[in-house]
Amino acid sequence: MTEKLVITGASKAFPGVQALDDVSLALAPGCIHALLGENGAGKSTLIKIITGVHRPDAGTVLLDGEPVQFASPREAIARGISAVHQERNLIPRFSVGENIVLENLPRRRGLVDYGEVRETARRFMAPLGLEIDPDTPVRNLSVARMQLVEIAKALSLDARLLVLDEPTASITPYETETLFRLLRELRDKGVAILFVSHKLDEVFELCDSVTVLRDGRNACASRPLEGLDRADVVRLMIGREEQTARRTERTATGEPVLALRNVGTELGHRNVDLEVRAGEIVGLYGLVGAGRTELAKAIIGAAKVTSGEVQVDGKAVTIDSVATALSRHRIGYVSEDRKHEGLILMHSVRRNVAVTVWGRIARALGWLPNRAERDAVTPYIDRLQVRTPSLAQPVSLLSGGNQQKVSVAKWIAAEVRVLIIDEPTVGIDIQTKVYLHELIHELAAAGTAVILISSDMPEMISLADRIAVMSEFEVVGEIDNDHDATRMGEAIMARIHKVEGAT
Amino acid sequence: MSMKVVDGRAGPRGPTLALLASSEAGLLLITVGFVILFSYLTPGFSSPFNTYALTRVLAIDVVIGFSMMVVLVTGGLNLAVGAIGVCAVMVGGWAMEVAGLPILVAVVLALASGAALGALNGILTVAMRVHSFVVTLATMSLFFGAMIVMTKAQAFNALPAAFVSLAKLKTYFFASSMLYISIGIGVLLWWLFHHTLIGRQILAAGANTSAARLSGVPVERTIVVCHALSGALAAFAGLMLTARNGAALPSMAGQLGMDWLLPAFLAPVLGGTLLTGGTLSVAGTFLGAAMVTVLSNGLLQLELGEFWVQAFLGIILLVAVALDRLRAHLMAKRRI
Repeated sequence: MTEKLVITGASKAFPGVQALDDVSLALAPGCIHALLGENGAGKSTLIKIITGVHRPDAGTVLLDGEPVQFASPREAIARGISAVHQERNLIPRFSVGENIVLENLPRRRGLVDYGEVRETARRFMAPLGLEIDPDTPVRNLSVARMQLVEIAKALSLDARLLVLDEPTASITPYETETLFRLLRELRDKGVAILFVSHKLDEVFELCDSVTVLRDGRNACASRPLEGLDRADVVRLMIGREEQTARRTERTATGEPVLALRNVGTELGHRNVDLEVRAGEIVGLYGLVGAGRTELAKAIIGAAKVTSGEVQVDGKAVTIDSVATALSRHRIGYVSEDRKHEGLILMHSVRRNVAVTVWGRIARALGWLPNRAERDAVTPYIDRLQVRTPSLAQPVSLLSGGNQQKVSVAKWIAAEVRVLIIDEPTVGIDIQTKVYLHELIHELAAAGTAVILISSDMPEMISLADRIAVMSEFEVVGEIDNDHDATRMGEAIMARIHKVEGAT
Repeated sequence: MSMKVVDGRAGPRGPTLALLASSEAGLLLITVGFVILFSYLTPGFSSPFNTYALTRVLAIDVVIGFSMMVVLVTGGLNLAVGAIGVCAVMVGGWAMEVAGLPILVAVVLALASGAALGALNGILTVAMRVHSFVVTLATMSLFFGAMIVMTKAQAFNALPAAFVSLAKLKTYFFASSMLYISIGIGVLLWWLFHHTLIGRQILAAGANTSAARLSGVPVERTIVVCHALSGALAAFAGLMLTARNGAALPSMAGQLGMDWLLPAFLAPVLGGTLLTGGTLSVAGTFLGAAMVTVLSNGLLQLELGEFWVQAFLGIILLVAVALDRLRAHLMAKRRI
């Protein structure tokens, strides 16, 4: 059997970085191949070579046995390669349908045939369980649904080689399962699939073979996954043994710091009840579009609460802006979208961390010397072990894991009493993930009331004390966490599907 | 690993990027080059009289550039700089000539009315949630029209001698004293943007509105503050121009105040203030204005017609915008 794709000795340098150094990979048709590695290991660069975004400086790419040199992604698409990249590639103002069929818009007498657009889009959305109107503009969708639209778009190209870069990063296990079923079907039809994920459980569940990159080189090239266990793979990825997160002992005490009583919001939440006490980690779990991030935004004053009551220390309060939430009630929110909402990428590490404390450290007449900022920030950069050459480094130049640490650090610096953390470890390398989990335990142990939003079920079960399950902008149940993965997973799914069945 | 990547990227690419991204050094070189070239080509260029005239124009154009810069940094723009400048000056002229108020009071009144008109722009931008382009296009027409109606297009040309003489002082190297005032304003702005709470909030809101808002920055307030500041600076530039002209003229910035728009955009954009907001260079704006002033003065000395000079300035603006895009592209590329 000829291999679908063979890459031999690929190297690629960017100014100052050797992103890939003599990397090889072979991918057979009818095979799901995992591409693994820490952030910065070179996975994205390799993918961009396969999909025609970058050209390698050295090495060969054989597609179906013949050498290829793509000048653009369009050429790669024409040769039957389609990809779901980590960065979103959708046009926000276009509809879901238009985005899905963008590469070959159906035309009739020179005009776009919108009936056909809708129909084609539905055909590729249905297997993914994506039940939305194809006319909806993409910008109105949640991150998770955008991800599913990206996947539908890749599928619509009828590719023989499908590249998926972190396709499950922002979707729930339920959707992941649907996706995996679909991928297995495609594999059985002879499609070659390259699958990138940080979630090793998924890799072992889905993939047949594996290539691991470390520092731009092969730690292993195209070997069967059989015979390897999780520890082996982690060792290949990070070059040493995996640590597990240390849990700090703690007990939740006293009255709720923050409580929602029968809250409704302009975003569509109804009758939401939720409490969190000092030293407690409350999880918010739900499917795509369940309204978790939106609820967080309503709590911090970025969206309006229209009915019910928000209580801080038992007293009803109105939080009309994030500034009020921060300065008066000391509530903070770590965004799921660090590039657009969490960080000011072009600004320095120092500015990004200090933004929440500026008001506190400013002196008379609003004078805010750099020195005061540096003194306020340094302890947190040290504590979170942010790897940066200096505090003046633009955040855009840090790795993903370090960016996430900066995004979290500013809220720790703010010394908030209630911290809402939204998908803290999406697209983060293993070591940073373990570190962030330990940090969340530590924060709670020090008396912070934590609300954790996560679609990563193992993360949720290892961190939360209680899990509030959300569905369709309501809290449909609350479960005490006994840290048993199987039992908790079933209990959560039962809550969600009971509601889905009832409506 | 990440450490190595970061260091590597900053290293070899650093010098070229730094030069392009912080265009101050490049601008300084080009400006000095033009000064030498024009001094060589025409004896009139380096004459004491011309140096004085040139620095007087420069002093005003710098402040006009600042007036636009402080709004560009929010990611917006202010088309009404000229209109606000003229309106404020007519208030000041009226206060001095008709109401007979002391010069200082009249100046404060003029600055306050400029700030108030600017603040109105800011409030409308925030309240209507539209780009400041639309708001300031409308208010440019509104402010100018209202000013013409109220003044019946009459100038105030009997201003106190003490006020007019402010513009006539010469100092070292035959430079106008007004240039030092402009430099002083620049230092204050630099301090404001880099060493105060509101300055940092403005830069944060300009660079990434949603991230700033979700970090507790009062984004709306920063926009209103920037527009008010822009109005006050436009008023200041207007007062300097009035002192130079010896009269408060409704026509001093052209129809609708539009004569100011070219210098207003040229100085900051050449100087490295990104049109997308979030970063600014006070020194760059100063040098940008210097380059434009030297170039147009030199070309006029060479007896190239006024309209040729206008055409040249248009080309320079296009080049500056292309540089702006290149800079933004390079900044984005650094985070592959």
